[in-house]
Amino acid sequence: MTAAALARTGTELRRAFAEARSGWSTGAWIAVAVVALAALVPFLSLPGVRTDALANTLYLAVAATGLGLTVGAAGLPSLGQGAFLAVGAFTSALLMAREGWPLEPAALAGGAAAIVAALLSGGVVRLRPAFVAVSTWLLAWLVWLFLLAFPSVSGGSQGLIVPEKNLLGLSATPTVHFEVALGLLVLSAVGIAAVRRGAPGLELSALRQAPPLATSLGVRLGRRRLGAFAASAFLAGLAGGLSVQLSAVADPSAYDPFFSFKLLVAVLLGGAAATLGPAVGIAALGLIGLVADPLARLLQLPLERFDTAVAAILLLFVLALGGAGIVPWLEPWIARLRRPEARARRARAGGLAVGPMGNDAALRAEGLRKAFGGVVALDGLSLELTRGETAALVGPNGSGKTTALRLLSGTERPDAGRVLLGERDLADEPTHERVRLGLARTLQTTVAFPELTALESVLVGRTVRRRHGGAIKAALATPQAREEQRTAEAAGVEALALVGLDGQAETPVPELTSSQRRLVALAGALASEPQVLLVDELAAGAGADELDRLAEIVERIRGSGVAILLVEHNLRLIRLVAGRVIVLDAGRAVAEGSLTEVAESDVVRSSYLGARRL
Amino acid sequence: MTIGLQVLISGLAAGGVYGLFAAGHTLMYRLTGIVNFAFGDLVGLGIFATLLVLAGTAPVTQAGAHEPRFLGALIVGLVLCVAAGVATYVGIVQPYLSRGSTIGWVAGTAAVAFAIRAVIGATFQRSSYVFPDPLPFHRVGHDGFIRVGGAQVQARAFFVFGLALALALGSAWLLERTRFGRALRAVADDSEGARVVGVPVDLLVALAFGLVGALAMIAAIAAAPGEAVNANTGTLLGLKGLVAALAVRFGPPLRAFAAGLVLGVLEAAIANVHLGSWQLGPSYREVLPIAFVLLLIAVWPSREALEARE
Repeated sequence: MTAAALARTGTELRRAFAEARSGWSTGAWIAVAVVALAALVPFLSLPGVRTDALANTLYLAVAATGLGLTVGAAGLPSLGQGAFLAVGAFTSALLMAREGWPLEPAALAGGAAAIVAALLSGGVVRLRPAFVAVSTWLLAWLVWLFLLAFPSVSGGSQGLIVPEKNLLGLSATPTVHFEVALGLLVLSAVGIAAVRRGAPGLELSALRQAPPLATSLGVRLGRRRLGAFAASAFLAGLAGGLSVQLSAVADPSAYDPFFSFKLLVAVLLGGAAATLGPAVGIAALGLIGLVADPLARLLQLPLERFDTAVAAILLLFVLALGGAGIVPWLEPWIARLRRPEARARRARAGGLAVGPMGNDAALRAEGLRKAFGGVVALDGLSLELTRGETAALVGPNGSGKTTALRLLSGTERPDAGRVLLGERDLADEPTHERVRLGLARTLQTTVAFPELTALESVLVGRTVRRRHGGAIKAALATPQAREEQRTAEAAGVEALALVGLDGQAETPVPELTSSQRRLVALAGALASEPQVLLVDELAAGAGADELDRLAEIVERIRGSGVAILLVEHNLRLIRLVAGRVIVLDAGRAVAEGSLTEVAESDVVRSSYLGARRL
Repeated sequence: MTIGLQVLISGLAAGGVYGLFAAGHTLMYRLTGIVNFAFGDLVGLGIFATLLVLAGTAPVTQAGAHEPRFLGALIVGLVLCVAAGVATYVGIVQPYLSRGSTIGWVAGTAAVAFAIRAVIGATFQRSSYVFPDPLPFHRVGHDGFIRVGGAQVQARAFFVFGLALALALGSAWLLERTRFGRALRAVADDSEGARVVGVPVDLLVALAFGLVGALAMIAAIAAAPGEAVNANTGTLLGLKGLVAALAVRFGPPLRAFAAGLVLGVLEAAIANVHLGSWQLGPSYREVLPIAFVLLLIAVWPSREALEARE
């Protein structure tokens, strides 16, 4: 038992080592050398270099790197990272000064307190990103005003004196703090880089680019974004909890809202899109401070005010220049240090299990009703899909087709009626759960993820099939997570092959035609291995020559046992693929049958062509 | 009872100012979908420009103002405040709005806020200033205080509340009845539609960004001699306006004004009222409402705030 486990661990380690070696490049050597050199700095006793200031800057870089996850990966503009740092600092300082805690648990408690603050205010991540800015702006002021108003907590104008402590068994001198901060920075940068490259990063990026599309593919918006927000708050709280001991006093005036803003400036200055951007931004701000201070003295301006103005003006410049930041500007040079990407390795298609998984998974809707205000969009719709069939839902504009899809997929809740997948009542299941159970949907619009490739877009649809797609496993790059990534890519390529786009796997989405984008969206839905597929307007804008190909694709998917519901205006496509047509008018199903039967019926004629008045 | 009346009147006066800030925030939000983080500081800029013209950066006594000079100073302040508001929209908000970059206008308006604070702080370096009073309130009653139903109330409070109310009702009338107001409401309903039918959207919105600042500034200056002012004054007023506007979830401007009034009274009550031996005290005055609204938008957002989901 143990021997087998050891052997497996050994194999995994060897494999990981081999992978690391094949991915190793000049850039990686340089990075290791830079970190090693940096670790030596406190021992060189360079003239004019103060270790405590450097250590403090490194802690700030940790908080900024965390903020990079919120701003860059999740696209949430946070104005409150300094508030999380303050929460961590004062929690840790109070525990050390009043309760006599050692530094490490106190700092971790600081990180935990920051997470609590993030979770309390983090409900806003579900909203438009603008509201994250509003909420974090309020939080930054709240924390600062609180510290000013309650001297019993903050120690008043003198601040809170933090006693001397040990850190990792050594007396917590600036040098020890420096090494710890450097280690923390490297760890958080490596971890965040791994998360951003892995499944959670892909989902965050999808959520940032097109939230409705990502959620329709089964990505959990609230959970992913809140996770990023809380993780970034944790890093800030931890950095705050440690740095407060370094500065020996917790001074409320150091944590004003401008401090949060400065961290955001660092992130944008260095480049939010790159994991190392924020740290580079902090370094740049530090260098600018070195230049600005003598200048301010020369001009006889009050120093701390000057600092504010410089940061604000810098940010306006960065934004005016397009807002990419330093690291993305350097990207072409950095890219040369990389090994010609292992990206070219083409994943082999396979492992996609579309279609029924044993149970009889047909979809049934009973008496669905939905009203928006006084307008009844859907008035008691019932329908049934059996597996391996293609049905079409047709009807004039405003007849309730899209509402029906939204109720079926769980983006809206019905006022009455229920939806069953097989025997399972989906009433309380949110969208991502429905996708996981095998009910996938494509959107009507041609929204796409503009920053992803075709394969990456499809992989977003793989979310619900991942079992090792969590942030922690991604950060540690565990064997399961890496194995799963490989199988996911294979399944993604196969999904692309199903729609005839496997040749375009590495093509960036903006270079695809709009009908190709529709197919990529369809492949994304297929990647979730659905048993029932709801397709909204597949043939919109398709030329006559494309229809046959679309019909072929739909037939191929149906052939694998999937039940398909097409919401479609194009009657030619319906004639080619749909065995059954359901006609909606004013929120009710008015006719059902084969296309010819339906076309004969009077109700349909009057709703499509208008009552005959001669 | 006595304290209740005192709380109510002083709360309404403070709340009137908050209310105009809240109405400004909500109007800007409804026009553009953005939150102007620099709003408070833009008004602060106007207040301190007025102070600079009026008395320089030296300490002043309350009675130091002569009316003609005050009027001149007020006009300089108002013009600067409107110009800065318009410039913020044209230079910071509009470019990013048209690009669809949220981070752009968020960071941009925050940068303007901190830049203005830095400029005010560098010019007015003392921790607080007295704002000269052009109106002789100190001659009313006992050195500016009058007795109402047994309570000692600042005479200025009535003036500030009345002025704020008049400004709020006046601008509501403007929105409702004039061509300018109707055009603004059209932009708020559907800015693309308004643009298509020939409404000069950017011009109107830029003007609105300036004018809401002027309205808030007049009320803030009316209240300013009652308390010490410093670089934080404008920022905090803007923050409280935002809190009130969020409490009604960026509802109609008059509702936001009412929320501001409630916030003012609430703050006064938190600071002064005790029930038996239980009292919150002034420390809680500022933090409690912010904390409340912070939780409110997290757990009970408006439908519009959610709309990016689909």
